[in-house]
Amino acid sequence: MRAVVISLALTAAALLITRIQSLRIEPEFIVAVVRAAVQLAVVAVVIGTVFDHLGLSGLFVLVMFAAASVTAGRRLHGVKGALRIGATSIAAGSVPALIALFGLGGYELEPRFIIPISGILIGGAMTATTLAGRRIRDEITSKVAEIEARLSLGVTARFALRSYLPSGIHGALIPVLDQTKNVGLITLPGAFVGMILGGASPVEAAQVQLTVLFSLLGVQTMAASVCAVRVGRSFVGPGERMVL
Amino acid sequence: MAEGVCLERGGRRVLKDVSTAIERAQVTAVVGPSGSGKSSLLRCFNRLEEPQEGRVLLAGEDTRQIAPVELRRRVGLIAQMPTIFPGGVRANLAYGLDDPEDFDLRTTLESVGLPGHFLERPSDALSGGEAQRLCIARALVRNPEVLLLDEPTASLDRDAVRTIERLIWDLAGRGLTIVIVTHDLGQAGRVTSHVKLMVDGRLTAEGDVGDVEQAWPKEER
Repeated sequence: MRAVVISLALTAAALLITRIQSLRIEPEFIVAVVRAAVQLAVVAVVIGTVFDHLGLSGLFVLVMFAAASVTAGRRLHGVKGALRIGATSIAAGSVPALIALFGLGGYELEPRFIIPISGILIGGAMTATTLAGRRIRDEITSKVAEIEARLSLGVTARFALRSYLPSGIHGALIPVLDQTKNVGLITLPGAFVGMILGGASPVEAAQVQLTVLFSLLGVQTMAASVCAVRVGRSFVGPGERMVL
Repeated sequence: MAEGVCLERGGRRVLKDVSTAIERAQVTAVVGPSGSGKSSLLRCFNRLEEPQEGRVLLAGEDTRQIAPVELRRRVGLIAQMPTIFPGGVRANLAYGLDDPEDFDLRTTLESVGLPGHFLERPSDALSGGEAQRLCIARALVRNPEVLLLDEPTASLDRDAVRTIERLIWDLAGRGLTIVIVTHDLGQAGRVTSHVKLMVDGRLTAEGDVGDVEQAWPKEER
């Protein structure tokens, strides 16, 4: 508990800095801290029960998925069908990875594996979806004249938008690529630290962490790619036209 | 040709029952004050906008019956600001072509008055006038029947303006149908004697520059 209080003091210092710098993100900052505290407190209470029932853990994963979809959808405001795009992108990234990891025997189908692994992968998919979607949305809305110049040459909207997708996907993958490249050198990621603190051997912790990182690369690449294509399409109307 | 075209955008009626015929292999200028709907009319011609009412015909065929991709190859549109894509001049000319080898890019470039060796230039090394001529050449590669020019000289210096105006004459002489939108009545008079005046979303007069000047609303002069 003492560690939590100390880390909260550090958060207060960070809040002070945002105030001095006039960043005007204090409300969001406070909401994030309060939400994290409340959510983790609830999870701590609930998870004991959930860990004992496979069905409940499935329900828990669905709640995580819904929350991630709503968050991503909100972050993609200005995009038509943002919630649907958020949900399908997160599902496209995380569902195949979860099926592979659990279906091929990577992990046993038990709540103590299902919940943390699903949480990490769904969270990663949500981050990639948000980053890619926002970048592509901004790129397209700021370059409408250029895109219409392409359409005016008689190419399909899909072809015209092709040039604007890679930078958005790449931008969304920079954090996970950096995290994977620098793991162990600059950062000790959450799963590794959690297992060590929980008493696992460093070798076991490293195996789980590698699984998480490799899976995240696939999950985030898939989520960002699906999101990029779908956000691009959301700006195309009937007759190969841009619709803003 | 437009028949009863009405276009509404953002709750505002931008085009109000516009009907007009465009002469083949001629230059037609659409003039009018800013915000009168000239550019919107051009955008209806190549279906970057879809009118809520009325129809646009190309050689007697309703443009809604023509696939947008095919229509836009037949009806090229050049915007006010030269829009050059990343890459060199050759890449710009070849953009979207299924098989660029089948097209004589050098001849097309020369047809707009740019030297053939410009093909190997990076496109960001071009002046404003050269960039606009490259945009026109990029549309011409597709061998269009109609070329729509939306204020094509608005961002250019005087020499470049004259060069583009001579090019417009030259292209019409080669059988291309050209519609140019401009707010500059003087320019309309230099490129054609077929002028149409658009005011507040309606075509209110047509004829030569003198006829249209008479009809130009006094408060907009």
